[in-house]
Amino acid sequence: MKAAYEKPVILRLETGYLNKFGSSPMYARKVRKDIDGAAIDALVEEFGSPLFVFSERVMREKYREVHEAFATRYPNVVQAWSYKTNYLQAVCSVFHDEGALAEVVSEFEYDKARKLGVPGSEIIFNGPHKPMHALRKAVEEGAQIHVDHLDEIHDLETLAQELGRQIPIGMRLNMDTGIHPQWTRFGLNLDSGQAMDAVKRIHARGHLVLKGLHAHIGTFILEPDAYGHEVAKMARFAGEVSERFGFEMEYLDVGGGFPSKNKLKGTYLPPDVAVPSIDAYAERITDALFENLPPGVFPRLILETGRALVDEAGFLVTTVFATKRLPDGRRTYVADAGLNDLFTAFWYKFNVELDREVQGMNEPAMINGPLCMNIDVLDEGLLLPPLRRGTRLIFSPVGAYNVTQCMQFIEYRPAVVMVGEDGSVDLIREREDLTDVERREVLPERLRRA
Amino acid sequence: MKPTFDPRHRPASVADQARHQARVHVAAILNSYSEVVFLKGWKLGAFILAITAVAPNVAVAGLVAVLAAYGFARLIHMEPRFLESGFYTYNPLLVGLSLGYLFKLTPLTLFFVVTAGVAAFVLTHSLFSAVWYYLRLPVLSLPFVLVSSVAYLAAGSYTNLYVGSLYPRPVAAVEAMVPLWLGGFLRSLGAIFFVPSVVAGALLAAALLVRSRILFFLAVAGYYAGTLTLAALGGSPAAAFGDLNAFNFILIAVAMGGVFLVPSPRSYVLALVAVLTSTVLLTSSEVFWSRWGVPVFALPFNLVTLTFVYVLGLVEFPLMARGSGTPEEILDEHFTGRLRYPGSLRTLSFPFSGTWTVWQGFDGPWTHQGPWRFAYDFVLTDARGETHRGEGLHLEEYLAFRKPVLSPIKGRVVRVVDAYPDNPIGVTDRVNNWGNLVVLRDERDFFVEISHFAEGSIRVREGEWVERGTLLGLCGNSGYSPQPHIHVQVQATENVGAPTIPFSFVGFQADGAFYANDVPPVESRVESLPVEKALENRMGFVLDETYRFRVEGCDAKRFPGVREGELELTVRMAPDATFYLDSGKGRLYFGAHEGTFYFYRLEGSDPCLGALFLALPRLPLAYRRGLAWSDHVPTGVVTSGLRRAFVRLVRSVAPRFGTVKVALTFAEERRVVGQVSSGLLRKAWDTQVILHPFRGFQSVRVGTLHLERIDEAND
Repeated sequence: MKAAYEKPVILRLETGYLNKFGSSPMYARKVRKDIDGAAIDALVEEFGSPLFVFSERVMREKYREVHEAFATRYPNVVQAWSYKTNYLQAVCSVFHDEGALAEVVSEFEYDKARKLGVPGSEIIFNGPHKPMHALRKAVEEGAQIHVDHLDEIHDLETLAQELGRQIPIGMRLNMDTGIHPQWTRFGLNLDSGQAMDAVKRIHARGHLVLKGLHAHIGTFILEPDAYGHEVAKMARFAGEVSERFGFEMEYLDVGGGFPSKNKLKGTYLPPDVAVPSIDAYAERITDALFENLPPGVFPRLILETGRALVDEAGFLVTTVFATKRLPDGRRTYVADAGLNDLFTAFWYKFNVELDREVQGMNEPAMINGPLCMNIDVLDEGLLLPPLRRGTRLIFSPVGAYNVTQCMQFIEYRPAVVMVGEDGSVDLIREREDLTDVERREVLPERLRRA
Repeated sequence: MKPTFDPRHRPASVADQARHQARVHVAAILNSYSEVVFLKGWKLGAFILAITAVAPNVAVAGLVAVLAAYGFARLIHMEPRFLESGFYTYNPLLVGLSLGYLFKLTPLTLFFVVTAGVAAFVLTHSLFSAVWYYLRLPVLSLPFVLVSSVAYLAAGSYTNLYVGSLYPRPVAAVEAMVPLWLGGFLRSLGAIFFVPSVVAGALLAAALLVRSRILFFLAVAGYYAGTLTLAALGGSPAAAFGDLNAFNFILIAVAMGGVFLVPSPRSYVLALVAVLTSTVLLTSSEVFWSRWGVPVFALPFNLVTLTFVYVLGLVEFPLMARGSGTPEEILDEHFTGRLRYPGSLRTLSFPFSGTWTVWQGFDGPWTHQGPWRFAYDFVLTDARGETHRGEGLHLEEYLAFRKPVLSPIKGRVVRVVDAYPDNPIGVTDRVNNWGNLVVLRDERDFFVEISHFAEGSIRVREGEWVERGTLLGLCGNSGYSPQPHIHVQVQATENVGAPTIPFSFVGFQADGAFYANDVPPVESRVESLPVEKALENRMGFVLDETYRFRVEGCDAKRFPGVREGELELTVRMAPDATFYLDSGKGRLYFGAHEGTFYFYRLEGSDPCLGALFLALPRLPLAYRRGLAWSDHVPTGVVTSGLRRAFVRLVRSVAPRFGTVKVALTFAEERRVVGQVSSGLLRKAWDTQVILHPFRGFQSVRVGTLHLERIDEAND
């Protein structure tokens, strides 16, 4: 980057305050002119603003980094791509190409995976709501079903009797792993004995065969030890189940919840410091496996990674549409993307970069979205130099949960592109128009305007 | 499912049982006849029995001797299974034939035959147990030579029996018409069964030709090589061709070239050498024994063959035949096996998890030399092929540093060194070359040494038992190690720095392909694939389980004799504790060994089992999508009839001819697709196997042939 000319400014040095020099554009310049070689300007010109941009390179690198971290410590590791994190076909396909299974939590996601060509045997079917017809389809196609509650066990037993054969299943567990909040809503509780009771029942009826265990202890978990506790408990439970009922566990699925390098609101340290490396998680998990499994036995370890793989691969390019000065003196910018596009802005403070070098002093500023809603705030306070209309702001990391939760509300939903490893750009989802929004609507004839 | 295990398929009703029992006895008797010419099967035995009837005297005496021996064996409660093949009763047979040749049959001679038959049996059994135990050698027809020689010697004094060769031997008109060189061969062939006539010899030659072209060819070549040498040495071709004892040449050539050695050019040369060396022995024995009025019988054959086989065994000659069957089957099995099983018997898993890179292999350019040539070094590399992040100036930047090291074998920890520091990059410890290390004693009695652990990282103690995959410690940079890596070697003693011996790795993938037992080349990226429970359970066929299939899409050209309908496969166990799938018409032997499921070999003639063999000759018991592997199947599985005979004959001189290669890929966790290719097939056959969710196969497809499991509901 060429050194930009900076006008000299004299600032009074005030004792007792934090040093403001660090925030001059000279020192805290955050400029991004391209994403993996694709120029921001060119992208916006071709696909409009706002625009979601995904980096295929980052996705693949992240996948391999997680795989390496675990596979070099435990010989039987498989990742399952958590569909709800981002189920754009192109994104899923990149991870399937790397070898990931599909982890789905609803009939809709299941159908999506099947349509993408993923065979039933490579789909993990989680989630508390699996209607009978969805369950039947999954059983027939050989999906890996993780039962969430006793009612589902009952449904599956009915199905097994109907089909005249046993059905292999996995069981979802929840447990205390020493962190707060403890997720107790999914699966059967291990600590209270509820899970063991369920195994007893499965064994007694004889219609289902327990092949694996699954647990999902939470999300954005910053404490690797929690996984160590989880895995130790699961492995011990597996041993007990095998001893008491003869079910041999073919796999242990430790769920997801690994954090990305994103900054939670209210945290002080930057994510590079606050978020442990994936190696730390791998070490705790595999240590617990070696300590609690019989020696030389390696059931498949399944990771349902989502956020940690895709969050940092996603960028949202927005454009400053208007600038305002609030009564309290703060500067505010109206961007063309808001909470409708960036749902995760509720809990993250994103990294915001400018598409060009801008001169002038940084001053506290706010970024609002285009919605005519008071809550539409993307950033409540950050230091920005004075921006002109048309300046682009690049928000990151935004790859996880935003595209799937981004809603059609007030505005159309933006286009999504993916930058390939060679710098080529593919449109992977078109910008919406009125027909998308109204396709399912029916206007009664009597209400139609003459 | 059948309620009880019954390997002999004994029928239920009493009458059926009696009939079954009678069949067992008759087969055992007849098998003794075929065993003399190193073949199997009661039909051939019956045919030879009929041939001996050319001389009724000989035929009856032979049969009586076998019956006597067999009856005696049952009397002393010998395990019937041992008697089935005729292995213990062909010597009594030969003794009986030899006596029938000498004596006219009377009640008294029959008594003599019975006692000689029993004596031959007892001698066979005792000689065999001693010779096999001490020398790992068979007895061939040594008992016959001893007993018959003794009987002939004794017969001289038993004037009551001795009527000389007074009874007339019919000389058929054909005898005179056949030229001497041909008649000599046929008579010698007949002389093996003491019926030295052209007719008997011709019939025997025909039987040999039908059953095994290789044996026939060897018989002819052996005979003429021997007799022509005799003729050259003795100066009289007529005398050479007239010498009935020349059958020894036939037996030597057959035994060496086609039975104890795998038929191949090298074996043929050895057979020839054996025949040539036997000529002198033959003549000298004739000179010696004729003083006592006793023929040489098969003495030269026994002495030459046993000494040659013993020496070949001592030098571990690579072409020693194993297994049973005709020479054609053995050679098909042997040369296919050489392609199928390249590794060693000292098998290790990789001592790490994940995909590492081979830095140095056997005979490596840096340190794997001299007594330490059999060793492997492994490092971790990234996508760029670098072993470190950043500039690689610090240990912590190296990807291998402090990664787990796992036990490559099952055994006991015999030595642990844990206190040497990890060298900084650029420094090596030349004094304590091996650094921090673990020495393990494998169950199979060899030692594995693993070096360069990180300081203080070893988690096992001396005396502790470890399984494959037990965590031993962490990779480090102690000892003579320029960068963090894992060194592994196999040695015969537990001493640190002992000379190394060869070994191989099992159940791994290298650059995307699966290897069951092999040594990966330098710079390949390798990963051990631990056994997947689900696959192990699926291929864990349990004794007596039965699987039913619907057979469809028959193609008479590819699979002659397959008819649409049902196929039932039952899991059974052979007496040697190997398992097989039994279809009633054939047996497909299988087993799982160190992470791989194998179909080992096919017996009998069931094209459906052949199709199963082709579709999945082996299966890794670990799944990776897209994992590819290859295997070979004997040519007998894709050929039949005359074509099979021809292919195998050619293979005896060109072992790679017609090799049947099978390339397979995991398309999905339960779906394996593949291609069978061979010079014998006009175009490659596509195959697909879908595994059952719990046990065995759901569907098997080879070309148009399709087997679909139909016993689903019974599980």
